[in-house]
Order: sequence, then structure tokens, then C-alpha cells
Amino acid sequence: MLEFGDVTKRFGDVVALDHAGFSVDPGRIFGFLGPNGAGKTTAMRVVFGLVQPDSGMVRWNDRPVGPAERIRFGYMPEERGLYPKMKVRDQLVHFARLSGLSKSRAIGAVDRWLGVLGLADRGDAKLDDLSHGNQQRAQLAAALAHDPDLLILDEPFAGLDPIGVESLANTLRVLASDGVTIVFSSHQLDLVEDVCQDVAIINDGRIVLTGRLDEIKNRSAKRRLSIDVDGEPWIPDFPGVEVVDGPGPAHCIVDDDAPVGDLLAAAAAAGTVNRFVFEPPRLTDLFREAVTS
Amino acid sequence: MNRWHQVALLAKREFTQRATSKPFLITMAVLAIAILSIGPAVNLFTGGEDEATKIGLVGEAPPGFEAELQDQAMLFEMTVETVVYADRSDAETALTEGDVSAVLADGTEIIFHEDSSSRLTALLHSTVDTTVKAQVLSELGVPESEVDSVLAPVPVKVTTLDEADVQEEAKKGAAFFGAIALYISIIMFGQFVAMGTVEEKQNRVVEVVLSRVRPWQVLVGKVIGIGVLGLLQLAILAGAAYTSAQLADLADIDVAAIGLPIIASVFFWFILGYTFYAFLYAAVGSTVSRQEDLQGAIMIPIVLIMPGYILAIVAAENPDGLIPMIGSWLPPWAPFVMPVRIAAGVAQPWEVGVAIVGTMIGAVFLVWVGSRIYAGALLRTSGKVKFREAWRAAVE
Repeated sequence: MLEFGDVTKRFGDVVALDHAGFSVDPGRIFGFLGPNGAGKTTAMRVVFGLVQPDSGMVRWNDRPVGPAERIRFGYMPEERGLYPKMKVRDQLVHFARLSGLSKSRAIGAVDRWLGVLGLADRGDAKLDDLSHGNQQRAQLAAALAHDPDLLILDEPFAGLDPIGVESLANTLRVLASDGVTIVFSSHQLDLVEDVCQDVAIINDGRIVLTGRLDEIKNRSAKRRLSIDVDGEPWIPDFPGVEVVDGPGPAHCIVDDDAPVGDLLAAAAAAGTVNRFVFEPPRLTDLFREAVTS
Repeated sequence: MNRWHQVALLAKREFTQRATSKPFLITMAVLAIAILSIGPAVNLFTGGEDEATKIGLVGEAPPGFEAELQDQAMLFEMTVETVVYADRSDAETALTEGDVSAVLADGTEIIFHEDSSSRLTALLHSTVDTTVKAQVLSELGVPESEVDSVLAPVPVKVTTLDEADVQEEAKKGAAFFGAIALYISIIMFGQFVAMGTVEEKQNRVVEVVLSRVRPWQVLVGKVIGIGVLGLLQLAILAGAAYTSAQLADLADIDVAAIGLPIIASVFFWFILGYTFYAFLYAAVGSTVSRQEDLQGAIMIPIVLIMPGYILAIVAAENPDGLIPMIGSWLPPWAPFVMPVRIAAGVAQPWEVGVAIVGTMIGAVFLVWVGSRIYAGALLRTSGKVKFREAWRAAVE
């Protein structure tokens, strides 16, 4: 289990992390979410000792994280980068060996991951000669080649197309089912909604919400209401209705004890109801709620 | 995982990536071939002196001129041959084309092509003078035997007060070239360290590396890997220079006796000097984020190295001078100046001790300062980092 315990970090006048704390259970996919500049990268750098916190501590399986623990972690930084002029396989083997693998095990692991990620025939190419997507895969392979127990990925979905997102999500699900603990950050809450099992939402260096995603959603006092009447946005005229987007079918946030029957009746009175969905809030709704409350 | 094992892996990557890069291999090959060819080239030029100097003759020379010329040439320690031309224009053409070194016209005029040679002038002038005077004396009825005794050159001994010791001169020369090789190598490989540091920042690979190892390991691995490459390059160049000197057929000079100590000394001082400067190069390299900004930053080590190079040149001329002497004690310059003074045989053992210990202490200090600035600046990938900020930001 990864425990990120009450960490504070200041850069001059800027408070990057303000008593931030959360924990990640083994074998779970943990989304570390928040807007740009909220403190996600700083928190991840703290785990790897790249940033020294002013206070607080990170623990892995009840032990303070030090070099011996970090060697079993995998990290894909937000600032992607490998050696551009070096052959892909050579540098992946180099990184796997830096993470403690013997030469033969490193070569075996790298070849396996190149195969899994669809780069088997690109191992002898220089990184520079790879397409953008393949460079991303190579970057992931660098984080994975030593079979880490904890995988930390900073904005892994940024810049991926929907197929890329799905493919990466599937890779992460397979890893998690093998017992790997996965933490990834994202500022695109809608994009990763279906990927993470657990979340921590960070804003201005503070954790505003954390826990199992389904529990948080069910616990929320709000519900999302999507209505489409005659293909027009139709906003129910009820107290406590908050419109979150439009045009098109309207999405509103309402209290969980809102009179659903009355709302539907009002919609039917306005025209033909094409769509009427009353469901738990989405991540963005939870985030907005957490930040504004 | 052993930390030094990781350092070794980092060093190995630095070494192999650079040693197998095309620019490095090409530079090495070109330099080695150039140095190797110096020896045979020297033979080509010096070989020319053994051949006879050719002198063109045109018009009427005084009787007995040729015999007298050969006699006098022996006194001048020269071998001469004469070529007779039908007319002056033929002789001048031969002179212009370099077939002969000088032309004597009608026994009264010495013609050169571009530069006159005082030695040849003296030889020809003296020969003409002797033969003309001999002729006049014969005509006056002086018997031939007396003419010879009057005109026989008076032997004058030439003595040099301070006979230049070829061996010593060669030693100084070799030490001077050693100093240049050191200077170039330290700047070149120091620059590699700085460039490698910026590359890793610019490519953003540094964070991938630093999630596995500490900054000091990256720095030490880089310095060792590039330093070993520097030693390899020096070994190849020294080998080429040594072979070249052997090929040069320098009869009076014991190449092994001079070359081997100088090569050993260059290696020793390279290790000291490179260690001293490499960490400084790494520190300044870590404060910039792009190669384009590096040129300004590396002025700091260059400005520090330059006086060492100049002092080494001064020391080659005047190894006993006060300024080169003081320069040879001080850490930033000792690696360049001290080997020259040692080769000249003027450095006292205590001076060498001061230079070595001082440079070592300086190197340890720069390892400490350089590592800390490097650690603090490495993850700041936007713009230029001030030394003070980097110092404060250093983790651990």
C-alpha cells in the first residue's frame, strides 16, 4: 500500500502541496486528478525523491520510501524523454538494469514488453525514428521493463486518441489484475472516468476528495440529470437545478432527493421526451462540487 | 542494488554511446592519421639536406674554380655539385624552377631565386676570391706551392658556450606538445560533460534517470564514462605520436627515454585536471536548458583554463620564471604548467607535491560544489538557473 502522508511543499511563496494525504491500495488503478498546476506532478516527484517535502512522509508497505523501495517503482514523468539517438532496445535494457535487473533478465523483460506494446520490430530503431505514438509506448516500456510493484504515470493519457486511451487503459487493467498498484494523474476528468477505480482529487495543493470512485459517487448528495425534449435543450424550472452544460441535451445537477416524477411530468408536458436519465454524478461534477463547496 | 554498480552502468552508457558515435570515430581516425604522417613527412624534408647543393655556372669561371669549390665546400660542411648552363637565361630558368640553389655568372655575380643564402654566398664568394687571387699571384710569378700556402684557409675553431643539448630540447618540445594535448583534451572532454548534461535536460530524459538513481550517481557516472573515453583518445594519440617519432628517424634523440615519461605525465595530469574541471563543466551545464545557451555558460571554465594554457607556453620558454612557477603550484593551472616545468627539470619535489595535493583538494571541492549545483538545477528545465538557486534547491 502506498501512503502519501500529510505532505506539504512550498516553492517560495507558492504552496504546491498543502497537507496533501491519500493512500492507494495494492492492485488498484488510482486516478490522481485535478486541474493543471494543482500539485499532481510535485506529489509524484515527492514519491521518487525528486522533490524533498517540507513536511510529511511517503510510505510503501508501512516503510518510509527510500532508494530500496524506489527501485521497485516504475515512473513515467510528465516530461517525456528518452535518449533520441540511442536504439530503443538498448536504452530500455539500460534503464531496466539501472532498476536492478541482471543483463539477461533485462533483455528478456524488454523484449517481452516491446512485444506486448507492439514495438517488437522497432527495438533496433533509434528513438528519433519512431512515430510519436510509438515513442509514447517506448516511454511506457521504460517504466514497466523491471516489472515494478508500483507504477506511477504522470498524465499518461495526454495526447492519445480514443483508441490509444482504450489500449493504454487495457494495459493498465491487465497490470492491476497482476497485482501492480497503479497511480496515474490526469487533468481530463471525463477521459479517465472509466479507467480509475479509486481517485484523489487535488486542487491548489489540497486533496479535496479521495476514496473508491463508486462509493464517492453513491455517497454524493447530487445526481446528474440529462434531459432531451424534442431535440432541444429544455431546462426544468425547479429550485436547486444547476445547469452544467448545453446546448444539445441538457445536463443538470440536482439533489439526490429531487422529485424525479415531477421533473419527468414537466418534461413530457413540454414536448416529446427523447432522453431522460437520472444517474450518479460524473467525476467533473464531483470535482466542481468539491472545489466550490 | 549497489549504488556503484549503477554508477558503472551510467558510465558504461556514456562511454559506449560516445565511443561508437560517427563524429568521434572520424575525428579520432583523422587525428591519428595526421599525427602518424608527421614522422615520415619530417624525413622527407630533412632527407633533402643530405643531397648535394646544386650550383649553376654560366659564362667563364676563373680557372681552377671547380676544384677550389669542392675543397672549400668541405670546410663549409657542404656537398656541392655544379651544373653548367649555356647562357644566363637558361641558368635563371633553372634557378626559378628550383633545379639549382644559386647561379654564379661569369665568376662575378651570384644570383639567387627569392631568398639569398648567406652560407652559399660566403662559399661562392670565398671560392671566387681564392681562385682569382691565386691566378693573380701565379701571373706575378709566385710559385704554385707558395700560392697554395698563402691562400690556404686559416683554420678557425668554432665554439658554442652553451651547447644546446638536443635531448633536453626535444624533451621540452615534447612536454610542450603534451601541455597542448592536455589543454585540448580537458576542454574537449569537459565540454562533452557539459553537453551531455544539457542534452539530458533538453531531452527530458533526466527525470526518467533520476527516478532510479541519485543526481550524484548520474554526475559521477558521466564524468567517469567521458573521462575513460578521454584517456582512450589520449592513448591513441600518444601511440600515434610515439610511432610517428620512431618513424621520423631522429638519430640524436632517444624517443623512448623522452616520450614515455611525457606520455605517462600527460595521463597523470589529465586525470587530475579533468577531474578538477569536469565537475565544474557539469555544474555550468546543468544550469542551462538548451544547447544554444551552453556557449555562454561554459565561458566560466574556459576563462579559468586559458591562463593555464598561456602559462604552459611561458613555462616552455622560461621554466624558471616567477609567474610560471607560481602558476604551476595553483590548482586551476598546475595540470597544464607543472608537467612542462617537470620536463624542463626545474620543478622541486616539494613543488610537485604542492601542485598534486592542491589540485586534488581543489577537485574534491569542485566535486562537492559541482554535484550540489547539478542536483539542484537538473530538474529545472525552463530557462537558466542561477547558481545560488541551484545550490539552495539541491535535494539531500
